Amino acid sequence: MEYIVLSLVLLGIGIYGLVMKRNLLKVLMSIEIIAAAASMNFAVFGSVAGDSLGQVFFILALSVDTAMTAIVIALVLIAYREYGVLDIWDLSKLKKS
Amino acid sequence: MSIFEAALAASLVISAFLALHLDETTYSIISFGAALTLLSAIFFYVNATFAAVFQIVVAVGAIAVFFLAGEMLTPKRKIQGRRSIIIGLLIAFLLSLPPILSELNAEVFSRSYNLAFPSALWKFRGLDVIAQSIVILTLALGIVMVLRREGRR
Repeated sequence: MEYIVLSLVLLGIGIYGLVMKRNLLKVLMSIEIIAAAASMNFAVFGSVAGDSLGQVFFILALSVDTAMTAIVIALVLIAYREYGVLDIWDLSKLKKS
Repeated sequence: MSIFEAALAASLVISAFLALHLDETTYSIISFGAALTLLSAIFFYVNATFAAVFQIVVAVGAIAVFFLAGEMLTPKRKIQGRRSIIIGLLIAFLLSLPPILSELNAEVFSRSYNLAFPSALWKFRGLDVIAQSIVILTLALGIVMVLRREGRR
């Protein structure tokens, strides 16, 4: 069950991106990596257990994740059109002013 | 330990880290796409074929969308220093060590349900699939409405 280690490392990388990166696209990539790290366990453990239910859960999670990505990209586009920035800190400064 | 499996895991970790570390948007998106494709390869390796196919389909879509968004929205920046890239590569290599050293393996559980994929999908999670399709349709309509409203403004 050492795939948990791989999943944890990917989770750590995603959290690093969320904390350290200011670009909205990078933040979105971080969320994608975290989601991939979590949903990977469904597919791997389901396959290891010998049934397909894990893959079914993985596909359900993946489709929700993809829909969420579409929403976030739409929000990023709107934020860029409205304010011309992709930086999270700059957006938070706009909120204060 | 399978060397191929360890190489896949290490490459996945390295490409995921580089996707976040590299400043150049194009390289970052290429690295992100590589990470998703390597994840799909891992699924193939553990015999999760359907998951692998879905993952690679989503990866292709995600890469296309990220390329478009990245090229449209990101201004050209100064070139990232070689030192920063080398440091990033070193960190990514160090991060890839735990999955290799911990000997990835896919042991078979003693208890197995032997469910085929279609029966698992439709008999056990049929309602979920229908409900999720409604949710995704609603999300798509919402995105279209938001973008149309922005376009009018």
